[in-house]
Amino acid sequence: MRPYRFLLGGTLICAAGLIGQTGREAYRQAFEAWQEAQANLEREAGTGGTTLVSKADRAAAAVATFEAARAIYLRSAAEEAGQKRLLLQTPAKRPSPDLAPPAVADLASAELLTVTRTITRFTNDPDRGIQQLRQSLERERAALTALNSSIQGRQKTVAATSERIAALEQARGKTAEAFGDESSHVSEEVAQLEKEGKAWADYYEKLAQAIQLASVLPPVLNAPPAPRNDSVPKIPLARYVGAWTYPTVNGIFHGMQPEFVDLVVHEQNGHAEGTLFGRFKLPSGNATDPLVRFDFEGDFGSAASQRLTLVTSDGVKGFIELIPGPAFNLLEVNFQTDPQNNKIRAGNFILVKK
Amino acid sequence: MKCALGSVLCAAAFAGVTAVAQNSSPQSTSVDLAALEQTAQKRQTEWESLAKSLTERMARILPCDPRATAAITEVSRASEARLAALAGYVRAASAEAFAETAAARNLLTDEQKRALELHVEHADAGQEQTAVEAQSDALAQSAKQRSALEDSQRLLDRIATLVRQRVTDAEQQAVAADEVVALLGDLVAKFDARDAALRDESAAFEAERTRWSGYYAARLARAQTECSITQVGPAPAKRKR
Repeated sequence: MRPYRFLLGGTLICAAGLIGQTGREAYRQAFEAWQEAQANLEREAGTGGTTLVSKADRAAAAVATFEAARAIYLRSAAEEAGQKRLLLQTPAKRPSPDLAPPAVADLASAELLTVTRTITRFTNDPDRGIQQLRQSLERERAALTALNSSIQGRQKTVAATSERIAALEQARGKTAEAFGDESSHVSEEVAQLEKEGKAWADYYEKLAQAIQLASVLPPVLNAPPAPRNDSVPKIPLARYVGAWTYPTVNGIFHGMQPEFVDLVVHEQNGHAEGTLFGRFKLPSGNATDPLVRFDFEGDFGSAASQRLTLVTSDGVKGFIELIPGPAFNLLEVNFQTDPQNNKIRAGNFILVKK
Repeated sequence: MKCALGSVLCAAAFAGVTAVAQNSSPQSTSVDLAALEQTAQKRQTEWESLAKSLTERMARILPCDPRATAAITEVSRASEARLAALAGYVRAASAEAFAETAAARNLLTDEQKRALELHVEHADAGQEQTAVEAQSDALAQSAKQRSALEDSQRLLDRIATLVRQRVTDAEQQAVAADEVVALLGDLVAKFDARDAALRDESAAFEAERTRWSGYYAARLARAQTECSITQVGPAPAKRKR
């Protein structure tokens, strides 16, 4: 098992990190790019030649980017919304009603009763001192009456708060439930997009095969389709062909860390050729030359991973593997050269399509 | 050297304070609230014990005995301490509740935006459907010239079905989002109603606090009247020869 396989463990989230786009704009741009890439493809398919095969490949790559961008957007929007909705998972706040127990009211009413009884006992007493005491008790009774009324008012407000909180809790539960339903819709939609993505890949593959066949055979109605040339990879050529670069942030690598890498891959009649130029970060004091430059070529095989022969600018030989990444705009590169003093002889990293 | 050591200690203390400040999350706020509740509970117990025994204690003290006014003052102070602790706790709990309402209101704003986005996404999906149908029509024409395209046409028709399904789903989601926004609007109104009730409750506690204070003032006045009309106090302490 090759040690650098872990690089492909990065998912579409990794792709999003590299590209730095998660909003609606990103997937709309990808949609426009796809529409541009596939413009008139179906109309020209009836009459066009082999150039349409690469157009189909470009359209396949573009629709895959679009589907991936939209899935990332959906997941990101759902995740963000989920975080904010945590509020609905916790019960609403309220002060504890236990801090004003009924004992408080009982005590005030008992005092009021006692004072009222004493006043009644002294009502008809002509003694001047007792009359003074009775007046004092009446003032106390007035204070106690106001206090009892105030306690009752407060009890009513506490009860009202409890009622409002019960209604709030009911509404909170109902809203949280509705949000839960919506979250499951998002998961279904992402699954639906994945299904669509696969269907589009199959479609463009089939279309490219049919166009290739149509360019070889004269236009005969109802002719059975022949299988596509086996030497052409099953994966669209757009996954390999083009200009690629190492991202300036969040780059993924194994072994030596690239500082920059530029890769160009061309294709003609199933034959690949290209150039890689890069510089690697080396530990201080290391005398190794940080620059790597080589040309490579070879025929595309039917496997996903394309192994091609390379020759460095110093004439050293080796091989390069081009492996389609987890998203359509990502390409894993693995190269190895024969040993040579003070030269980098291996590298493994993921590039982003320019 | 000493100065440098002092600086290090200072920096360590500052780091500690900073760490505490950084940790002052909602969790630590609720710890503070729990402490306030505990204090309020304690003051309640202290006051209740004094208040319940006041009548009995007063019955055994002569009207002009200084212990009579001292006993009433003690209960009055305990009452004030209880109500102050309670007010502090209610204020803090209300502040947390109001913050919760603000968060709910923010959520409503976000969800309103999201519902709008879902309508836009529905429109986007509709545009994709139109594009796929156009592709499908074009391919159907081409397939008349090249029969090899028939398989692709079938696949494209299947994709068109999937996209149509997604348009329907997107529409349902947009409608569901509108419903959720309506529910959330209702919820925010209920949060507001809860906050209004809390404000009333807080005002009622404050009013009660004033009434308790008034009652203890009246109780103290009665004790002073009892003394003035009876002039009966404790026996003077015997002098030593």
